[in-house]
Amino acid sequence: MKSKSNVLLYNIAAVVIGLVISGLLLLFMKVNPLDVCGQALQKIVTDKYNLGEILVKATPLIFTSLAFAFTYNANLFNIGAQGQFTMGAIIAVALSLGLQDSLPTWLLLLLVLLGSFAGGAAVGGLIGGAKAKFHANEFLVSMMSTYVITNFMDYLLRTSLQETKAEYMQTDAISSSAYLPNIIPGTRVHLGFVIAVAAAVAAWILLNKTQLGFQIRAVGKNADASRLGGISSGKIYVISFMIAGGLAGMAGLTEINGVQHMLLRDFNASIGSYGIGIAILANGNPLGCIFASLLFGFLNVMGTTMGRLPGLNIPASIIELIEGVVMICVIISYAVRYAMDTKKKKAMMRKAGV
Amino acid sequence: MAVPVVEMRHVTKCFAKVIANKDVSLAVGEGEVLALLGENGAGKSTIMKILYGLYGLDEGEILIRGQQVQIKNPADAMARGIAMIQQHFSLVPTHTAAENIILGNVHGYISLKDHNKRLEKIAKEYGFDVPMDRPVGELAVGQQQKVEILKALYINAGVLIMDEPTAVLTPQESEHLMQFIKDFTAKGNSVVFITHKMKEVMEVADRIVVMRNGVVVDEVRRADTDEQQLARLMIGQEIVPPVRDQKECTGDPVLTLQGVCLQEKHAAPLLSDISFTIRQGEIFGIAGVSGNGQDDLCDVICGLKKPTAGQILLAGQDITGASIRRRNACGIGYVPVDRYRDGMVMDMTLSENILLKRCFDKDWFNHGFIRREKLDRYTNQLIENHRVKANDCHDTAGSLSGGNQQKVVLGREVDLASRLLILNQPTRGLDMGAVDRIHHVILEEKANRKAVLLISTELSEIFEMCDRIAVMHGGKFMGIYRNGQLTTQQIGLLMAGVPLEEEVQNA
Repeated sequence: MKSKSNVLLYNIAAVVIGLVISGLLLLFMKVNPLDVCGQALQKIVTDKYNLGEILVKATPLIFTSLAFAFTYNANLFNIGAQGQFTMGAIIAVALSLGLQDSLPTWLLLLLVLLGSFAGGAAVGGLIGGAKAKFHANEFLVSMMSTYVITNFMDYLLRTSLQETKAEYMQTDAISSSAYLPNIIPGTRVHLGFVIAVAAAVAAWILLNKTQLGFQIRAVGKNADASRLGGISSGKIYVISFMIAGGLAGMAGLTEINGVQHMLLRDFNASIGSYGIGIAILANGNPLGCIFASLLFGFLNVMGTTMGRLPGLNIPASIIELIEGVVMICVIISYAVRYAMDTKKKKAMMRKAGV
Repeated sequence: MAVPVVEMRHVTKCFAKVIANKDVSLAVGEGEVLALLGENGAGKSTIMKILYGLYGLDEGEILIRGQQVQIKNPADAMARGIAMIQQHFSLVPTHTAAENIILGNVHGYISLKDHNKRLEKIAKEYGFDVPMDRPVGELAVGQQQKVEILKALYINAGVLIMDEPTAVLTPQESEHLMQFIKDFTAKGNSVVFITHKMKEVMEVADRIVVMRNGVVVDEVRRADTDEQQLARLMIGQEIVPPVRDQKECTGDPVLTLQGVCLQEKHAAPLLSDISFTIRQGEIFGIAGVSGNGQDDLCDVICGLKKPTAGQILLAGQDITGASIRRRNACGIGYVPVDRYRDGMVMDMTLSENILLKRCFDKDWFNHGFIRREKLDRYTNQLIENHRVKANDCHDTAGSLSGGNQQKVVLGREVDLASRLLILNQPTRGLDMGAVDRIHHVILEEKANRKAVLLISTELSEIFEMCDRIAVMHGGKFMGIYRNGQLTTQQIGLLMAGVPLEEEVQNA
């Protein structure tokens, strides 16, 4: 227990240091970082809408980081959360457009939830299957699968899913009866955030408390020993990739039915890669993914807000820089923590030995 | 006393979790064989790895011919004439013997011919017959060791450290090695010989440093001591050899193999025509130099590999094609030779390691959820019963010492093995206390009418434990004998693949 709080402490320290360093970078833009951050923070804190945006931005990140974190526990690398999310989004928009006039909202949303999960799971299952059956490298297969699915989406956007005006590469907007209900008035926060948190909790329980989760972790930590326990690692690869893909796919529901209400080209094109970083920050722990995603949601809103500060001309892309620096600091903190722990234990041993 | 070649004074080394060496002082004289004797985990290897520069020391100093030196890495050590042969060889398997030997000591253009000539001269000097131009990976283990020794000779090492050098050798090869050590030291060189086998110590050492729990317990001259005294020093307590009941086993057959063969495509057979039966309450031993098909035999019985021919019967049922999961459920317990790879998940807790072999058993789950309380209670009980040194069931397996890990694996498998217990070198690399404990458990299982298959490379273990003994060589049984039918000499010949001229009556 003690070492866990230690990890948290180091992570927080790393994030703070990362923010300070990136704040200093603002000096190059000839602005006072304290001043700018103060202004931006004030804008966020005093504006309910902006506070809500943190949750809105965090929602899909929770899903995509879970998609990486889940397979990470099976010692697999799922780099394809982007593609799995896209597949979920395609299913979500197709189901919503097709059924929105004939089904009550709750039933439609339930169907979309299951559909988007199934869409992502199907993609994940193919990747896991390739790994189990042909010993394909899941890192590469999952990474490339994103390109395939992105092009598949573009094809659909040009053909069967294209808007009725047939002008842009996008779908029609879904009707408001297919929207995820808003849960905090005055913001854009929708039910999807609750679903995301619930999914993270469920993933944690599945991994740590159940038979299946135990087998997944066992294969992840030692596939040879697990095999002697009768566990088929191939089966575990497929199952964990399906669950991971399904989790990423569910972001399709929250983004289509909760935020964008339509599918268009380059839809949320970077949540997959952020998910990887967030999952690493959370050390593969599903519950940690919630908090790490909230942090990145906050940074995202912070960046947007800074970009909107009048008269300063700060590019909104500053946020990518901040997120990058924070990530580097987190990774360095792992190395530092390891070195410090070893030193402390040694000192303890020597004292005990005398 | 003359100035020692190497002297270590008050060396202390801590790892993150343990004190490996505390205030260790020792010296090696010219032309001397110093044996470092101690149980596994006593800190013998660590102190020598410090001397060889693989580990840094936390306190203390190293003197070479009376001069204080800093040894930061193996290159420093080699420059000062110290060479070490690790327990696990550091050779490049795809390179030839000659390339391995000169590795790290040549620059620019390499004239292999000249090197070969020089190497063959060194090899001849000590009577080594190592083919210099063949990839090391194709050589037998004994020859690989010679390549390691040649590496040391090539850099003109005056101090040679050998870590458990006989662990992998046949009795005949061991003899050669002992002869080499005598020849080598006769020329004024020194050898540090790390071992836990007292017989070797008595044969070759001049002086013996006994270590226990990271400290030097005593230092004796070979002439002034005997094996009993050394054993006492090593473990700090008298060992009671296990008592076994000598009656012949007449129980029902549990495991029967009929003409089992294993062969991969376009390769020499790994197993050919293995047939035997183990009965209830019988310990069936397989002796042999490791790598002669014992591991494959285990794989075939526990289901990791499917035999290409033959039949495997468990209590009369054909399990030749059964899955591992089914075999586990049928009551086969298996202690694999490599517990790091096959036996345990080092990053998981002891409870979880216990669950590993039971992860399809409904008793341990409630609607798919792990029954934590039951599992933890059971694990704590197992820790207590088998005297595992651990805080409780939440310790990770990796935090335990090797002997205690093995006790956990054995405890788990014993409970799973309602019919058959397979043990592949269960005491390899363990200290005598743990070996003793494990032998007691095996005899208990025999008393419980279980069939036991014991594979071991230690003849003393085979002789002490088994009812019947099969000798394995090149994937074949050289014969099955009742314990007591064979002398050590005969079994040594069988292990080397020489059939007995006078046919001993088959059991």
